[in-house]
Amino acid sequence: MTAIHLENLVKRFGAFTALKTMDLEIRDGEFMALLGPSGCGKSTTMNMIAGMESPSKGRILFDGRDMNGVAMGRRGVGFVFQNYAIFTHMNVYDNLAYGLRVRGLPEREVDGRVRKIADFLQLTPLLKQPSAKLSVNILQRLAIGRSAIVEPAIFLLDEPLSNVDAAFRAVMRTELKHLQRQFRQTMVYVTHDQLEAMTMADRIAVMDHGVLQQVGTPLEVYNDPVNLFVAGFIGSPGMNLLKGSLADSDRGLVVDLGELGRTAPLPPQLAAAARSNAGRDVVYGFRPERVSLSETGEGMPMPVTFIERIGARTIAHLGTGEQRVKAVFDNDVAAESASTVAVAIEPASVRLFDAATGVAIREA
Amino acid sequence: MTSLATREKMPMADAALNQGVATADDGRRLGFALTLPAQLLVLFIAVFPLLMQLYISLTDWSPLDGIGWWQAYELWNSFANYTDLMADTRFWGALGRTALVMLICVPAEFLLGLGLAILFMDDFVGKRVFYSIMLIPMMVVPAVAGYMFFMLFQSGGPVNDILSGLTGMNVSIAWLSDPTTALIAVMIADIWQWTPLMFLILLAGLVGVPEDQVRAATLLGASWWQRFRTIVLPKMKTIIIIALAIRIIENFKIFDTLYIMTGGGPGVATETISVYIYKVTQQDLIWGYVAAIALVILISLSILVSLAISRMNKKKEA
Amino acid sequence: MAGISFRNVTKRYGKTVAVKNASYDIQPGEFFCFFGPPLSGKSTILKLILGLETPDEGEVLIGGKPVNHVSPASRNVAMVFQNLALFPHMTAVQNIRFPLVERKVPEVAIKARVDEVAAKLHIAHLLHKPPAQLSGGERQRVAIARALVRDPVAYLMDDPISALDARLREETRVELKRIQRDLGQTLIYVTHDQEEAMSVADRMAIMEDGEIRQIGTPVEIYDRPASRYVAQLLGAPMMNLMPVGASGREAGEGTIVLPARAMPQDVVGVGIRPEDLKVEPWAENHPNRPATVYEVEPLGGYTVVTLDTGGQKLRALMRGQPDIRIESVVALSCNPERIHFFGAAGEALRP
Repeated sequence: MTAIHLENLVKRFGAFTALKTMDLEIRDGEFMALLGPSGCGKSTTMNMIAGMESPSKGRILFDGRDMNGVAMGRRGVGFVFQNYAIFTHMNVYDNLAYGLRVRGLPEREVDGRVRKIADFLQLTPLLKQPSAKLSVNILQRLAIGRSAIVEPAIFLLDEPLSNVDAAFRAVMRTELKHLQRQFRQTMVYVTHDQLEAMTMADRIAVMDHGVLQQVGTPLEVYNDPVNLFVAGFIGSPGMNLLKGSLADSDRGLVVDLGELGRTAPLPPQLAAAARSNAGRDVVYGFRPERVSLSETGEGMPMPVTFIERIGARTIAHLGTGEQRVKAVFDNDVAAESASTVAVAIEPASVRLFDAATGVAIREA
Repeated sequence: MTSLATREKMPMADAALNQGVATADDGRRLGFALTLPAQLLVLFIAVFPLLMQLYISLTDWSPLDGIGWWQAYELWNSFANYTDLMADTRFWGALGRTALVMLICVPAEFLLGLGLAILFMDDFVGKRVFYSIMLIPMMVVPAVAGYMFFMLFQSGGPVNDILSGLTGMNVSIAWLSDPTTALIAVMIADIWQWTPLMFLILLAGLVGVPEDQVRAATLLGASWWQRFRTIVLPKMKTIIIIALAIRIIENFKIFDTLYIMTGGGPGVATETISVYIYKVTQQDLIWGYVAAIALVILISLSILVSLAISRMNKKKEA
Repeated sequence: MAGISFRNVTKRYGKTVAVKNASYDIQPGEFFCFFGPPLSGKSTILKLILGLETPDEGEVLIGGKPVNHVSPASRNVAMVFQNLALFPHMTAVQNIRFPLVERKVPEVAIKARVDEVAAKLHIAHLLHKPPAQLSGGERQRVAIARALVRDPVAYLMDDPISALDARLREETRVELKRIQRDLGQTLIYVTHDQEEAMSVADRMAIMEDGEIRQIGTPVEIYDRPASRYVAQLLGAPMMNLMPVGASGREAGEGTIVLPARAMPQDVVGVGIRPEDLKVEPWAENHPNRPATVYEVEPLGGYTVVTLDTGGQKLRALMRGQPDIRIESVVALSCNPERIHFFGAAGEALRP
């Protein structure tokens, strides 16, 4: 149970800067996801927390204690590798016992603790099995158990679900989240999959190109992304982002989307914030799930290019040219390819971004 | 099946499709037919000399007898060669000496090679140069190496000069003339020449140890020695067995360097099995006897090596 | 453009039966998808169509003609492999030209054909680049272009976009579908991703242990699965499957009440899709037993709620961002028409 504090953390590899100043406070017992595309610096950050890399600049504090110069075996950090790094030449029992044995604990105590954790993780029937041929869900539990047995203050997980097949991933996500809740340990979870971060994390740190973009709860980053990158990266599909310019109309401030026409008037508070940006190009953003279609009703007319029916959801692909819109519906929507529909966007879900800087335009 | 699997992995799928592709069963039969000549050849090369040797070892045949080896049955003596061998003290002495050399040289080469390999896992200045230098001894022709060490260990040679310089006394050991020091000199030459091979093989093994598992052990608090003992060594098991097997077999046949340095002398002080066989063959010309010696060695060495390997396997699994 | 049919095709490897008595008809111009877990026989079916394998029994037909004894080269079926198999030392255009150069097609014809294909796939601006400089999706299109230049009668794709990341897969599958529509070609597609299969396929075949379990449009199979096996293969999160309780009138430890009238005979288990499971606050007078909220996973547009019935875990997919607390007590219900019924052998039963 430890709070982690990253202060002005910088990491360079030769001429390449993997991480350009990172400041992040991870609270005691929190499940924090470091989320971003490959090369965003999330793994570098994690490796520095574990002590596998040392920072070029800045400090890492565990409960206020500077970890600089503390060797990776002495930080009290449990690490679950992407490929689990199970000791394949040992059986399940010896893998679990490893951390206790290297500390020289008496074999009786080792045995007691191995059995306890095996019981907890439902590995007891497998204790004598060689670990080389276990299925990935068991490997994952084993990797967690092997780290957990030495009772680390911090758990670091490096994309532990990326080798798991899609159907099973949902189950593993729930189980992992539930385990963390029981262990009550500070957990840092690195992933490029926004779905994993959304479903499991207490808070998400979204990163791109070595820069921390936004920190917040899953719903905060989903509902109020600070910039275009976060808006596009979070959500499946990501936020619809349409280029346009602000324009006045008799009903209030609207956005002119070129080929697609004009939007409904902006909500008053957003309009007020946008006034200061008047004349500049903006990006008009809204979530695909906050759209309704009608054959005749109010809204912007858009051609339907393609309808994807994927089980519980239906994704309608709308728009023309560069101005593409996706809309997500329950599986019973009535829309046909190659027709034109009126698209109504829930006013409360509209977000505006400065087209030049990509930064969100917020109500003051 | 195999032919299909490889086809699928070929970079150009379309190209593969353009050629007629045989089905799985056809492939297996065709494969057998195509490799048959090679298999027969291997069989002939491996089995024929052995049978011939067994045959001659049961006779008193010598090339001086004026009859071809196939007529050796005229000099049939049943197991006389083998019973003679059991009572041959020079043979047993040579065998013991060979074993002694092996028991000292192979572990020394293994430990030195392993130590160097571990050093080379880290980066240091001039690593590539040292790496190249390390491999030189292995590339030196054994006969040349023998001559080199012959020169080095002369009583007025560089080894004594260096020892004199270090100790400040006038050292003049007649290395190759004294039975004990001659054996030591011969072993030093062998270690010099074959440590690099150990180094190379073990370095390959070390590189192959999964880095993640070593890191995982570090993060679990294992010390360097604990990681080495519980992760690195078990992962290198197979390659260590291979390296040791190669060197045990090779070392048992130690001959060329040694023969040039000492000729097996002084007396029989450095006479190993190979030297002994060579002398019996070339000087005494009793080939039936030589064949018997060779067979005994071959069989005992095979038993020794397979025992050692299975012991090692069992030990590592336990 | 040609249709492809199997007539009672069986293929064995030693004692394992890779494909068992498979019969189906793929229409000309259809986007047909084989879907199933690993080793269910999908890849063997592709090999049988390509001619890399010969059936032990039955007949493979391409364009109505039996092709059991036609060599792979003469079948004129193109394949895009999982690893794309582009030549790294050639530029995109050299890769695309390769099959034509190999066939000694005249240079003028090659140029015309490559330009035509490049335009269709929107890759004309990428032609001079080597594969290493292309993104995953672009490489994908180059690989398809290489298959396309030959003008084959049908295309086969074996999990062609599984190497791409999630976001790019979503884009690429729509792109693939568009390309196939534009070309109007028969496309046979193998994937292990159920969402991808449902997104692209006109019709799909669900495979298990070498046998085809169900053929139909994605919507048909999703809404009316032929068996419990098929039902749980499609949909994320998976369909909730529960045994029917002892009284025969409830499931999920009494948290779900089954419709008394509309039940078929001999029902052993029921299935409810997560999006059909309704979650409401529990009140004292509620007829069902309550369930506890085990875990709440916000997806933004949707929320996955895992419920503990006391004996098993059920999942509900709820629209939006409902305010549901972990450990709170809730009542579950489901529109009777949306409940799937299964018999003892896992077969679907209809009321």
